[in-house]
Amino acid sequence: MRIDHLTELYERFKAKLEGVSGECYRVGTASEAGELICNVMLEKGIRNVALLKAPILDKGNITYQIQSAGITVYTDHFREVTPTADAGITQVNYAIAESGTLVQADADANVNQRLCSTLVPIHIALVSTSALITTLKETMAILHQLPQIPGFVGFITGPSRTSDIERVLTIGVHGPKQLVVVFVDEQVEEVI
Amino acid sequence: MADKQFKKKISEALGNDVLRGALGRFGDAYTISRAKAYEGYDFKSISDNIAEVKSYAASHLEEMIDQFEQSATARGAKVFRASTGEDAKQYILELAQRRDVKKIVKSKSMVSEEILLNQTLISAGISVQETDLGEWIVQLAGQHPSHMVLPAIHLTKEEVAHIFSGHLHKLNQPVIAELVKTAREELRKSFLEADMGISGANMAIAETGTLIMLTNEGNGRLTSTLPPVHVFLVGIEKLVPKFEDATHILQALPKSATGQQITSYVSMVTGPTPAYYSDGTVKDKEFHIILMDNGRRKMYNDEKFKKTFQCIRCASCLNVCPAFQLVGGHVYGHIYTGGIGTILTNFLNSEKDAQNPQNLCLQCGKCSEVCPGKLDIPQMILEIRNRMGEKEGLPFTQKFALDVVSNRRLFHSLLRVASVAQKPFTKGQPVIRHLPMFLSGLTEKKSLPAVAKVPFRDIFKTIKQDVKNPKGKIALYAGCLIDFVYPKIGEGVIVALNEKGYEVVFPEGQSCCGAPATYMGDRNNARKCAIMNIEALEAEKVDYVVSACPTCTHALKESFKELLQDDPGLAARAEELSSKSKDFSKLLSDLGGLKPGGDGVALKVTYHDSCHLKRSMGVYAEPRKILSDTSGVQLIEMKESDRCCGFAGSYSIKFPELSTPILERKLNNIEETGADVVVVDCPGCLMQISGGLDKRNPGIRVIHTAELLLEKRKKLKNKTK
Repeated sequence: MRIDHLTELYERFKAKLEGVSGECYRVGTASEAGELICNVMLEKGIRNVALLKAPILDKGNITYQIQSAGITVYTDHFREVTPTADAGITQVNYAIAESGTLVQADADANVNQRLCSTLVPIHIALVSTSALITTLKETMAILHQLPQIPGFVGFITGPSRTSDIERVLTIGVHGPKQLVVVFVDEQVEEVI
Repeated sequence: MADKQFKKKISEALGNDVLRGALGRFGDAYTISRAKAYEGYDFKSISDNIAEVKSYAASHLEEMIDQFEQSATARGAKVFRASTGEDAKQYILELAQRRDVKKIVKSKSMVSEEILLNQTLISAGISVQETDLGEWIVQLAGQHPSHMVLPAIHLTKEEVAHIFSGHLHKLNQPVIAELVKTAREELRKSFLEADMGISGANMAIAETGTLIMLTNEGNGRLTSTLPPVHVFLVGIEKLVPKFEDATHILQALPKSATGQQITSYVSMVTGPTPAYYSDGTVKDKEFHIILMDNGRRKMYNDEKFKKTFQCIRCASCLNVCPAFQLVGGHVYGHIYTGGIGTILTNFLNSEKDAQNPQNLCLQCGKCSEVCPGKLDIPQMILEIRNRMGEKEGLPFTQKFALDVVSNRRLFHSLLRVASVAQKPFTKGQPVIRHLPMFLSGLTEKKSLPAVAKVPFRDIFKTIKQDVKNPKGKIALYAGCLIDFVYPKIGEGVIVALNEKGYEVVFPEGQSCCGAPATYMGDRNNARKCAIMNIEALEAEKVDYVVSACPTCTHALKESFKELLQDDPGLAARAEELSSKSKDFSKLLSDLGGLKPGGDGVALKVTYHDSCHLKRSMGVYAEPRKILSDTSGVQLIEMKESDRCCGFAGSYSIKFPELSTPILERKLNNIEETGADVVVVDCPGCLMQISGGLDKRNPGIRVIHTAELLLEKRKKLKNKTK
């Protein structure tokens, strides 16, 4: 039942995200996520990536997988590398099915989380399938129940966009031009 | 009254094809995308929720501010309360100087535009960069935003390319994707170099001290991530009591603003967050929040304008406004544009600044229909108009006209004289096609009806009402247009109500309902009209009062009560009149409607909704039912059937240059249906639309529902006899 429910939420999320020009995938294990990410990056011609350490990345040994694919991985000095890196990889806390929205709500408001997901032209976001929430309303309630509202809560729905010139939709202004979301079914223990 | 300078700005805006094209395309697309975004959501319950939480905050404002300050301070923010724009500017300038700030990046803040913050900072030698693309373009062009959500909607890609080329010393081609790329590259440098960020917020949560901003471009995220000093400049109306209350506004704002499900980014900031300093270390940034009043408390303390606190600044009132769509934002003259902008300007700038733009409101009510904060914008603009009228008086010609209207005998004898005096212009036609010299603007793209030879009040006496054992008595309130221009409508009303078994009386002492005075801001004369009609109609003695002009019906039902609320005796009579007054199609349908019938002759009909009938009385299904029950009638819906025809009473006289293009859009929609006849329920709309069709497409007739019934059923009656 739970799996069926998650699948339904995933499908809803995927449809919404694709509606705003995002890419959406789902894999079984963290290791499979690594494989998928490598393929996606090779396909997009990404040569280097800023990667912020996170439980799913550790579990799937993803840093190693990416390096093995011949892509340079930056894991620190984000203020220097993110303005020019080809892509950024982070894990986010929740996903809202209703609108295809990712939620960044790290308790420590990690600035690197934002650098790796905002300055780069391509953001690859990993999220646990079990972190899918049905609605915006529920999401706000969940955030409210945290010990305190994190210093920075970021909702991301698709790539950066503007319609400021002649009302013509153009993707990629200040933030990423592409957003790739990978859902991982395998339960990975949160290490904070 | 609109002054010459203002009229000039309007004519320049109207002459700007680019602006009109962009606004027109956006207006059309907006309606569709907004409807799509709200699919599956209950707009009414979302807006009820917004009104509830925002009105709570408004009525507990001091408590909200205290609570916000407490919670934000507890999280490490420095909160400053600025009572004026000067205070806010001074605070930011001092902070910047103290921190030796050289470069500032700003994410969108209308408040900073309101107080002209950039000027202060730039004159102190600090570089200030807007980072919202539209704001940046407008900044480079040395202009003000023309729209709250879409600041540069008035500029074309060619103009943007020209502006970029001039400022960036490299040639920019008018290709939108390239222009956006240029902005990304240029502004990226600014973000990385900035030592201070300034942001506006869409919400400030009292409970948690959280600031929430919605952006699409990502500039809000970067402004709150990169610079080590961050200032939020927030108007006190952005306060929301509880964290989860933000849900309602998050649900509505993107849908109402741009027809998006949600914006690409929603950023919620609570207290200082870690940032990189120039030496490479990461530590908490310096974080300031300025809660600014600058005229807002005065607005919320005013009972008639308290609801402006419920505004979430989505600008949907601009997007659906027929006048805004024609002239754009710059005509309004100040930072806040459109209907809500006129009200904000009145309080945050000055009453004088609102004097011209308040005239642009057609009072069509479309904005109230889409407002997620449940603001009655036209009503508030009318209040401004009235207060101005009371304070400064109306110009002599208007005042004279309204004084005449509120004096029944004088007004009616003048109208009788007019029916003779107009002859040189009508050339025996039922319409006036040309007027001399200064009045010619009125007949440029439409004709005016001629005053009827015999007014309805005289015709009434000759009508035989054959009602045996009447079920009751109905007083007919004709209003000026039916009485003196379209008496046929009155006959139609009587025949239909007779068929329902009611006797119709015509109280002789009735006169103008006062709407012209009300909408021109002359409460005094409107009040005189109200008293005169209450006394004449003697609602106490009849079962119903019927009117076939929704503007008059609105006056009978609503305006009289408001105008006389300070006089208990008259207020009670106004209440009685209000409860018995109904517009023709509504009354007919409440009485059970007519038996289906008609002459069966095929007639293609399209229906135009009058603003007052649909939006102020919620009547739109009833007339359609009456039409479809009439045999032979094929009802074809027109596009935008409830969009204002541009008549709006004296508006078409004050602003023929705006009224005409609004009318033309209506005529296009009518012609698209291929209908033979346009049916309306408002004689004002009838006058406007038939005036336009007479010049452009005389093959299409315009008639009132009551007239259609008269025509289509009379023949049947004769046949059955």
